[in-house]
Amino acid sequence: MTFEKVNSKVVKADLATGGDVLARKGAMLFYTGDVRFVPHSPGGAGGMGGMGGVVGMAGRAMAGEHEVMMAATGNGEVHYGRAGLHVTVVALQGDRLVVEASRLLAHTANLQSAVVPLASGGSGGGGLRGMVRGAVTGQGMFTTQLSGHGAAVLLSHGGTIELPVRPGGGTFVDPQAYVGHRGNVEVKLAAKVGWRDAVGRGGGEAMQLELRGDGVVYVQASEQKL
Amino acid sequence: MSQLRTNGRRVLEAELHNTSVRAISGSMVAYEGQVQFKSAGFGGGEGALAGLKRRATGESLSLMECTGSGVVYFALDAQDVTLVELNDETLQVESRQLLALVGQLRMNVKFAGVRGAATGQGLFTTTVTGTGQVAILSAGGPLIGLEVSPQYPLVVDPDAFVAARGQLSQSFVTDVSWAAAIGEGSGEPFSLRWDGQGAVYIQPAERV
Repeated sequence: MTFEKVNSKVVKADLATGGDVLARKGAMLFYTGDVRFVPHSPGGAGGMGGMGGVVGMAGRAMAGEHEVMMAATGNGEVHYGRAGLHVTVVALQGDRLVVEASRLLAHTANLQSAVVPLASGGSGGGGLRGMVRGAVTGQGMFTTQLSGHGAAVLLSHGGTIELPVRPGGGTFVDPQAYVGHRGNVEVKLAAKVGWRDAVGRGGGEAMQLELRGDGVVYVQASEQKL
Repeated sequence: MSQLRTNGRRVLEAELHNTSVRAISGSMVAYEGQVQFKSAGFGGGEGALAGLKRRATGESLSLMECTGSGVVYFALDAQDVTLVELNDETLQVESRQLLALVGQLRMNVKFAGVRGAATGQGLFTTTVTGTGQVAILSAGGPLIGLEVSPQYPLVVDPDAFVAARGQLSQSFVTDVSWAAAIGEGSGEPFSLRWDGQGAVYIQPAERV
């Protein structure tokens, strides 16, 4: 594994064994060895995981789904952390991970990165429903999708729990506590009677994320947005 | 009966089999299965009187009732969760530090003295009486349980106090040197003193 947790809030990336790493600008804490840092622009740098998504870089910026990433190359160990937030390491074995850019700390450079509507297909996807969702939850209409073989590091307030999403059974999540999901999972935005009592600390619409399919969803122990 | 358990340090799980759990409104982060949520008002308090008392004192506590079959996950502001088992006894708890409760438990508000005027906390505190499980929250790290015995009374900062159980009596210490030790002009001239036999729970962070 490229990423190793040093404690609940810091990860260490070993570039010699895991290869290059892309991380949010400013997330590097310290490094040892011979490491170079270069700004990473989506779409450039062949082999670094191009833009396969539905929007280009301009669209990415417009959708708010954009964080400046730095690529770390060379031989050495780099430590990453951000704002005292908890880190969760997710290994990908050919499956896909969907996470908001603001909650993505780092990932191995061999993963393909794309910007996709949070719920591709199905109702509550991009377009109008997506916009409604963005307005309601304060989150963007688009999220970052990572796929391939490698690892990624998620950020959360208070750490994450991993809930299974099984075929046939629905898993429901407070949009404010949702961090990301992995696997073949479809996300739907839905209203529910009584939901306001469950998640609404005054104000806000009674909205929930419904996840169906086969995979896992990462939920943080807080309603704090990043 | 619904069973409560922790998932890691900061998430509470409640397993429902056509049963229900009461929790602070807004604390649910996820659920699986068929679960209905509805407001349970002022902690299902003892009727209109409790509601009135809370209204008058600001010791407000908005609860929701989650009923059905499945698993519900609760968490609040990344605070640590601790489960307390009550066996026909009373737990006195800061209303802001209460997360959820199951079982044959009654909630009430109790006059707690004059500290409210000084600390900005309510004059009333919440009590939970009966048999069942209570999940309480602590900010800044895991809950700290302190034993109180007749020989060893305990004095705690009201802003760090979370809960107390046992045969305890509460009083106030207004010592000038104590205030000075905390910091001049801190506006914290009171501390809580506990005498008797029981346990007092505090959190490693002060409420602001």
